[in-house]
Formats: sequence, structure tokens, C-alpha cells
Amino acid sequence: MDNQRPSPFAAIKVVECGEGISAAYGAKMLADIGADVIKIEPPAGDLTRRRGPFPKDQPDPEKSGIFIYLNTNKRGVVADLKRPEGREVLGKLLERADILIHNVAPSQRAEHGLDSAQLCAKYPRLIATSISMFGDTGPYANYKGYELTASNAGGWANLSPGASPYPDLPPLKCFGSQCDFQGGAHAAFTSLAAWLHRLKSGKGQAIDVSEQEVITAMLEMNLTHYTYAGRVASRLGQRLLGPWFIADCADGKIFCLAVEEEQWKRLVELMGNPEWAQDDLFKDRLSRGANMDALKALMSDWISGWKTQELYQAAQKARVPFAPINTMKDLYENPHLRERGFFTQIEQPGVGKLTVPGMPSRYGVTQWSLRRAAPRLGEHTAEVRGELAKSA
Amino acid sequence: MADSPLSGIRILDFTWAWAGPFCNLQLAYLGAEVIKVESTLRPCVTRALPSFADGIVGPNRAGYFNQYNQGKKSILMNLANPDAIAIACELVKHCDVVTDNFAAGVMDKLGLGYDKLRKFKPDLIMISMSGYGQTGPFKGFVGYGPPASAASGMFFGTGYRDGDPAEIGISYADPNAGVFGAFAILTALARRALTGEGQYIDQSQFETALALMPEGLLMYEMAGREPVRDGNHDFVMSPNETYRAAGDDKWVSIAVGTEDEWRALCTAMDQPGLAQDPRFSNAALRKRNEIALDEIITGWTSKQDRWDVTRKLQGVGVAAFPSMTAKDIAEDPHLAERDYIVQLEHPEIGKRKHAGVPWKMSGTPCAVSKPAPIRGADTEEVLKTLLGYSRDRVEQLQKAGVLA
Repeated sequence: MDNQRPSPFAAIKVVECGEGISAAYGAKMLADIGADVIKIEPPAGDLTRRRGPFPKDQPDPEKSGIFIYLNTNKRGVVADLKRPEGREVLGKLLERADILIHNVAPSQRAEHGLDSAQLCAKYPRLIATSISMFGDTGPYANYKGYELTASNAGGWANLSPGASPYPDLPPLKCFGSQCDFQGGAHAAFTSLAAWLHRLKSGKGQAIDVSEQEVITAMLEMNLTHYTYAGRVASRLGQRLLGPWFIADCADGKIFCLAVEEEQWKRLVELMGNPEWAQDDLFKDRLSRGANMDALKALMSDWISGWKTQELYQAAQKARVPFAPINTMKDLYENPHLRERGFFTQIEQPGVGKLTVPGMPSRYGVTQWSLRRAAPRLGEHTAEVRGELAKSA
Repeated sequence: MADSPLSGIRILDFTWAWAGPFCNLQLAYLGAEVIKVESTLRPCVTRALPSFADGIVGPNRAGYFNQYNQGKKSILMNLANPDAIAIACELVKHCDVVTDNFAAGVMDKLGLGYDKLRKFKPDLIMISMSGYGQTGPFKGFVGYGPPASAASGMFFGTGYRDGDPAEIGISYADPNAGVFGAFAILTALARRALTGEGQYIDQSQFETALALMPEGLLMYEMAGREPVRDGNHDFVMSPNETYRAAGDDKWVSIAVGTEDEWRALCTAMDQPGLAQDPRFSNAALRKRNEIALDEIITGWTSKQDRWDVTRKLQGVGVAAFPSMTAKDIAEDPHLAERDYIVQLEHPEIGKRKHAGVPWKMSGTPCAVSKPAPIRGADTEEVLKTLLGYSRDRVEQLQKAGVLA
């Protein structure tokens, strides 16, 4: 990574507080392009320190994988915002900060010194961005929520997995902490937009990001199926278009999709023009959706003779958008990611070298780097207090 | 809009389908002027997908398109025509940002590559949001949202307990790429504001999805294990499940993150003794005996309305919420009170409910400025305003198939 030149964003001072994933991810996005981020943790440490994954599955708050991923490039300060001394540290940090990103729930803001209106009044140049489950206002503002809550409140889980044959099994959340990540990403780009506005106006402001709304914005055509046609989609039912399913190769699973007529034609050719493909049951994408079980059974014979990566490449060569159900191992060994240098390494004291996802958008000019290990609990408390004393 | 975060920023938008339009939608919400370049010869797929207003098929009647193109302008240009490319280059002089989500190399082939366009606008910011990026052995691969989600490992990690890898309900890799695209453009605008430089951004949908897979990837990297599919259960928290409620296919999620919440749940279920049950007395034990715990909770939820469960539990500080359908969302009083659901008068189909801006800004309010454009509605206005074309000239170019 090119970390020789100073980033122009090093002058942007960001303060992050709250616990868990959303605020930490939003601040990470700013830290990775060079912003100076100070993370405030409670004395017991952020809850992601206890989530892992851990080396060899041995829990250790200084070795949690998700904590490390979220907090490289940041300095860490311990302050108990429920106590006046802690709020005093927060206040001093905010006096010189450009952006605050936090996910303290609306019901707890006052006791943490994070009431948005008060922050705006006291620090008129500050961009005070909060991420919450349901937003700062409205009847559910004080409702509690975690990742599973957001996935259901936003309407995503109700659609997942899609075309499910299991009506007795519940709506299914996606792997990981996607709703929290999205809350963080929205906080990051709206904060940058407000910062750009401040360059012209000199004024800060408060931003209220609702995870429920962020997820509801991502329901594809499902919301308008209802508002345009009264149709309520769910995780059950059937795909409209086909082929669209997961099938078994000789050594793994592959996701099969060929919903454009041209893609189907090329797929039929790749399959060696089997006679069944001419059947009326499969004459267009809607018929292939309606007769998906029969189609899958017929295609599976052919698919099972392939190795996953070979079928993936052959289909893609024919411009048919199949993709393997990659495992984590597959991803670390992926030749495309390797050639693009996507994964990057960090050296985390006590843990050693870790290979982690790198730059998500490849900038021509903006410097993106992982230049500093994640902080040990309270690692920079004294250093930052020293800076605050000097500037006071 | 006069005082929006991005007022004065103009974007020439060559994107289509979902990922690209979702990126530009965020910028339109922030007040940028987004000029969407379309063609009747190569219509955007989402103008042709159901559901259609009043069941009548038509390019301006598709909910999918109208949801994700709110607040944008639409101009028609036949990019197969060299005269249209020349006009596009002239337009770039007046734009800050160019966006596309074609397969790698397509913009270059069209004569709209970054190296050419920057000659017209030296500090241009351009982002290409392709499936696999502009370099590497898979650069020509076709990227769609569902296969990108499969390739990212999300399908592998998602699924019911002991079940197969599962799909994830939405084409998540698409909007996710759009969100990362919006961040990348804002980063580039901020950089330009500080240094005067523009830049090109090569964004791979596959890689933006991988950025959000650290929990799985690091499990393999640090503990040498692949993620185990276990429905809605969490690695650490327990209970963490979506439970059956009274009624046809009604469900309510309950997630417990602290011991206080656990005790409150037991009390609310009228089973205070459960909190001391040796099977459930701390998170690790609840995790170990999760199936038995889920059965007990289902016994309580399945006889009640999902909103009653929600109100009871939220009243004592436990994270519970119904599994919302599109209907629930469209009619939800909370989202209505926050003015999240918007209904603007569309010239062809009237008022329809759409999802609006998922954040609030106190100083520079963001809003959906207008409904999605009628295809080509702004061709004349844009060419007149930016390039000084007369109505006659625009009509000639339309007849010649350049603006088509």
C-alpha cells in the first residue's frame, strides 16, 4: 500500500462511539481513506471484542477478528460516557472534530451526552451522524434492535431465502451483519456529503440514519409489487423466470441463472443442444420459471458431470451468468481476486499477519490503505488526552 | 434544490438495471442533478419488469424503474451512433461525474472511456461499476446481483440449520454495489474539493460484496473453519430467532443481547423461573440449549398476535419486531410519520407509494425531488440548457436516430 504521501483526508477528524458494528464500519470507511479517527470505547471494551472469530477459537478481547477488521486505522480511547469525566473527554474531542458517527440508541442519547439537537447547538461546525434501528423520531424510535431485528423490520428477511419449499421454517436472515454494515455505509457517505456542504456553508448538522429504512430501500421490486399491483411477495412461492436455482456439480454447488432469452440459447448450446430443451415446457423464460422443477432435474444430469469452477468458466465464456457457491477457502484462493490484489494483509500485535478484504472500490487517486493495527483497549487514551491538554 | 449537500453537482449517468441506478439514486437524494442517458433501442431492463401500474405494460409504468430512478432526468441517446457519442462528450464538459455499470471495457468501446472523457473535463470523476472489475482473469464475466451474492460466499453462509446453502431473498450485491459507488463518488468529490484532482474508480461488484463478509472470511483465516449454517441463530447471542405468531404465516423476531434482556423476556413470558433454569442461565448455556429454548418461546409467541408480542417485549426493553411484508411496510404508521413513504404525482400513472430517503439531515433536508422520469422527457431541456441547442436541432437529431 502506498502510505508514503500524506492523505488530504488526514485533516478530517472523526470521533466514533457506541458499540457493535454499524458505527464502527461507517468510521472505518472514513479511516481507510485517510481520516483521523478516534474510537471511544466503554471501560469493558466494545462488544465486538467478545464476538470473534478468534485464533483457534480461543476467546480473547484483543484478538477478535471482527473487532480487528472494523477498527484498523483508528486510535482507541476508553471513556465511560455514562459518567461526567467520560463526557468531558467526549466534549473535548468534539470541539475539534469534523464528524461524529455513533450508534447510541435514541433512548440513551441524553445520558451519554449525545442528544443531536444539543450537539448541533454546542458544536455548530460538527456533523453529528447517528445510526439507529428505527431512526430518531416516530412511534418505534425507542424500540430496541439488533441485526435480526433490522433484517425483519426492513422487510428483507420476509423475502428470504426466496422460492422456499419450507413454509414451516421462518423468514431467514442473510449471513453476517449486513443491515449493520449498511447502516454504517450510509452514515459514511451522508457524512461526507454534509462535510462537502460545510466547505461552502461553514455549517455542520445532524444526520439520522435508520437501519429499517436503509433496508427497506433495498427490496428490489417487492415493495412496488404491492403498491402497484397489490401483490405481496414472500420467501415462499416460485421464481417467475428460469432457469434460476442452485445445483450440484461433481465437487461443489453452483448458482444457475439464465433469464435472458439470449443467455438461454447460449446455455442450450453449451449443454450440447439436448432434445428436451426444445420442449414447449421450456419455450420462454416464463415457461422455464413455471416448470423449474422439471428443468432443474433435466439440467442437473448435465451439471453434475462438471467441476464447479470449470462449469463457472465455461458458462461465463458463453456469457451465461452462473456463479459458484464459493466457500471462504475458495475466496482466499480465487485467482481473479489474487491477480487484482484484492485481499490485503495487516499485522496485528499478538495475532500476527491477517489476510482481510481490501479496497472495495479501486481508486485511481484516492489513497486507500490499512496502515495501523486495531487499537488495544485504551491503547491511545494517554496519547489523546495529552493532545487535548496541549490544544486546550 | 437550492441548499442540498450536493447542489451544483451534475452527473451524467450511463447506468442501467439496479446497481448503477441505486448509486445515482443516493446522489439524487443528496441534491445532485442526475442526467440518466437512456435509449429506446436498448431499453433499461427495469422499465420492462413487473409490476406495472394498473396492470398495463409500458416503459413509464414499471414499479421497479420508478422506485430506483426517482429524482432523475432522462435523455435519449443512441450510443451506437457516433454523433450521439460526440454530443455525450460535449455534455461531459458540463458534468462533474460520469457513472456506468456496463461490463468491463464497454465504455472504451463506445468511445466514452475515461482517458478520452478527461480531455473534455480534466477534473472529471468517473466510476465504472462492473461485475468483476476492469482487470484480472474474470474481468469479462457477466455480473448480476444474485450470482455475485453467490460468488461472495453469502449463499454459502446463509441457510437453515443443517441445510444447504440458500439464496438470500433479494439481489443484495446490486444495491450494495450502489452504496459503495455512492461512497466512492463522495470520496472523489471531497478529494477534488481539497486538491482539484479528478479520478477514475474501478469498482467490482464481487469485491464490494466481499467487503461485507469479514465474519466468514476471518473465521476461515483465524480459526480454520468455514461458517456453519444455522438459520437465524447468532454466533454469540441467544435467543436470536424469528418465531411463529398467531395467523397465517406471521412471524416475530426476538433477539436477546444481555442478561437484563433475558430476564425481562422470561418475566414477560410469565416464566420468571426460566431465567434460573440451569440450561439457560447464561448466554453460552442458552446457545448450547438453543433448540429447547426456541420451542419454549414458540409456545408463547405462536398463540399471540405478532404486534402484541412486539409491544409487550419492547415495553420491557427486549428487541422484538414482526417480520414485515411489503404490505406491512407500505402501511406502517412509523414509516408514514417519518415521511419515509413518498407519493408524488407521476405524469402517466398518478400517485404511487415508493420508498423514500432512508436518512434525515437537519441542516440540508434531503427529499425525493420528483418522481422517476418519463423516458426521454428531458432530452430537449438538457441539450438546450447545457449545449444551447435549438428545438429544431434537437428535432433533427431525434429524426436522424441520434437522440433515440
